[in-house]
Amino acid sequence: MIEQINQVRTSTLFRLLFKTSNIKKFMEKNTDEMQLPSFSEYISRLCADRGEVPEKVIKRANIERSFGHQLFKGTKKPSRDTVLQLAFGFVADVDTAQKLLKYARMSTLYPRVKRDAAILYCLHNRFTIMEAQNVLHDMKLPLIGGGKQNERCESSR
Amino acid sequence: MNDVKAAVSDIESAFDASRYPAEFLEQYDQLECLAASHGTETFLVKQKDGEKLFVAKCYDKSLYSFVHESNILKALNHKGLPAFANEFQNDATICIVREFVEGKPVNQYITEKHLSNQEIIGIGAALCNILIYLHGQQPPVIHRDIKPQNVIVKNDGQVVLIDFDIARVYNSASEADTQFFGTREYAPPEQYGFSQTNSRTDIYSFGILLRYMLTGSERENPNVRIYKPLARIIKKCTAFAPKERFTSAEMVKKALLAANPKAQRRRKTLIAVCSAAVIALCVFGGVRWYQYATFDPLAEGSIPSMMTDAERVSDAVSYMKDKYGTNLFDDTESYADIGFVKTILTDVYGYDSDYARALPQEGPPHESDKNFLPWGMGDEQYVARDVMVYVAVKIYWMDKVSDYSNLKDDNGYYPGVRAAVAFAEETGILTDVGHITKGEAAILLANADRVFEATKE
Repeated sequence: MIEQINQVRTSTLFRLLFKTSNIKKFMEKNTDEMQLPSFSEYISRLCADRGEVPEKVIKRANIERSFGHQLFKGTKKPSRDTVLQLAFGFVADVDTAQKLLKYARMSTLYPRVKRDAAILYCLHNRFTIMEAQNVLHDMKLPLIGGGKQNERCESSR
Repeated sequence: MNDVKAAVSDIESAFDASRYPAEFLEQYDQLECLAASHGTETFLVKQKDGEKLFVAKCYDKSLYSFVHESNILKALNHKGLPAFANEFQNDATICIVREFVEGKPVNQYITEKHLSNQEIIGIGAALCNILIYLHGQQPPVIHRDIKPQNVIVKNDGQVVLIDFDIARVYNSASEADTQFFGTREYAPPEQYGFSQTNSRTDIYSFGILLRYMLTGSERENPNVRIYKPLARIIKKCTAFAPKERFTSAEMVKKALLAANPKAQRRRKTLIAVCSAAVIALCVFGGVRWYQYATFDPLAEGSIPSMMTDAERVSDAVSYMKDKYGTNLFDDTESYADIGFVKTILTDVYGYDSDYARALPQEGPPHESDKNFLPWGMGDEQYVARDVMVYVAVKIYWMDKVSDYSNLKDDNGYYPGVRAAVAFAEETGILTDVGHITKGEAAILLANADRVFEATKE
């Protein structure tokens, strides 16, 4: 039954993501960067709203413990992949994951990029970070947190 | 526990990558979409067989009949421009892959760094160098989309200009551009179709970018004061009529470097130094003129007095040698005696030998037409300072004292001698009241000569 619901949800998502005729509108919805709170503020608030402690989120995100706490304190800035790891740590849905990226001033997940599409699928279906990594591995796509792109700087426009 | 294999199968079946050239996807992994708009998508990509990152810009062919970027990038080679890497296309899309520039776009860079005017000028000058290169191509390449997001400052400070998709090669035969491209705030009037864009189009956008870097806004804000030399540059860059703008990026760069606060300070210092030099010259000239106009041969400073004793001696000996061709003063340390004085009178000044050599009279000092020397002295008797002064005065101002017979004052001096001694004392020529050396004799005679020359007009 659950599998069936997931199937329906997945197909709806894909229709929204892959078949949309107005990709620009989709992007605009996700790239509004006006008056954003800081990333650390946002993740701390998210933890509080969910009644969770950062420790738990960090553990689920498979992030090194002290680095994770520095992210919550705002003393370290995350790469895009670290934000995606945290999205899995928060067991975030697609909207929350996009917000996390937006507040971290990173480009949001873009369904025409195969890797992002796979990550969207995994988030939507509440995969764990390890399961998501397995999916990426099987699809021969770069793993989350596995490459030089973590330090990228040239901006999105 | 989720089913990974089913997930992979789901994604693979739903994902449609056919819009992108297959060869492109075979060689590169798309990592993220950096931008998407107007039928273009910019991706951060990674080589499948390496770690190197690139940027791929993919154009929807139905919207873009032809794409400039690859042709332009292929022909360019400058450290301030991203290197072209590859080009792929299929029926729907053309993807141009270029070097990924690791750094921060100017809009982000200035927010994080809070740059000084000097640093902004540095970025501006670096950007000018790139524009000089682009505009110097044959035919010139006009970027047409200079804006903060397209100017990257690398970690080592190198400035790189990216995004050549609306750049065009200047066609001197074409009168007006038919399409508007660019970013509204940064586009000059001609980019709206008034006339063909040329290098001054980029200069306009550069001016707006400069304003943005200084104020954080593209628009003029009367409440924000801009460092005046830079405000002038912005005004000239962004003039409505292209012909009123700087004629070249080279000129902009020159103006920028001249506006550098350091250069301005150097300029101000130079002006101050020059002004001070002019004032000093005027003062010196005035003083010299005043000295000349009010020259007093007996006044202090009329003769060289800044030299050491040895230098004075050397100066005087040289003077006498140059003017009279004599070596009589070379033995500067030995004392002058009356024989020496006689030799000077006959050999240096050419006095009639009898007159100069006549035996000194015995008794009290007495001057007559027959004798140069006023009183009786033996040939080898040392000459005292005041006697030597008298000799000098007698040589140069003979007419001043024509009869010494009754001029002896209460102290036993002659008026000529008194004047001469006063002169010598005031100028510090002589320090020894006793016997005079030949060197000191040279000083006395040379200075008397100089004073005489200076006053005879």
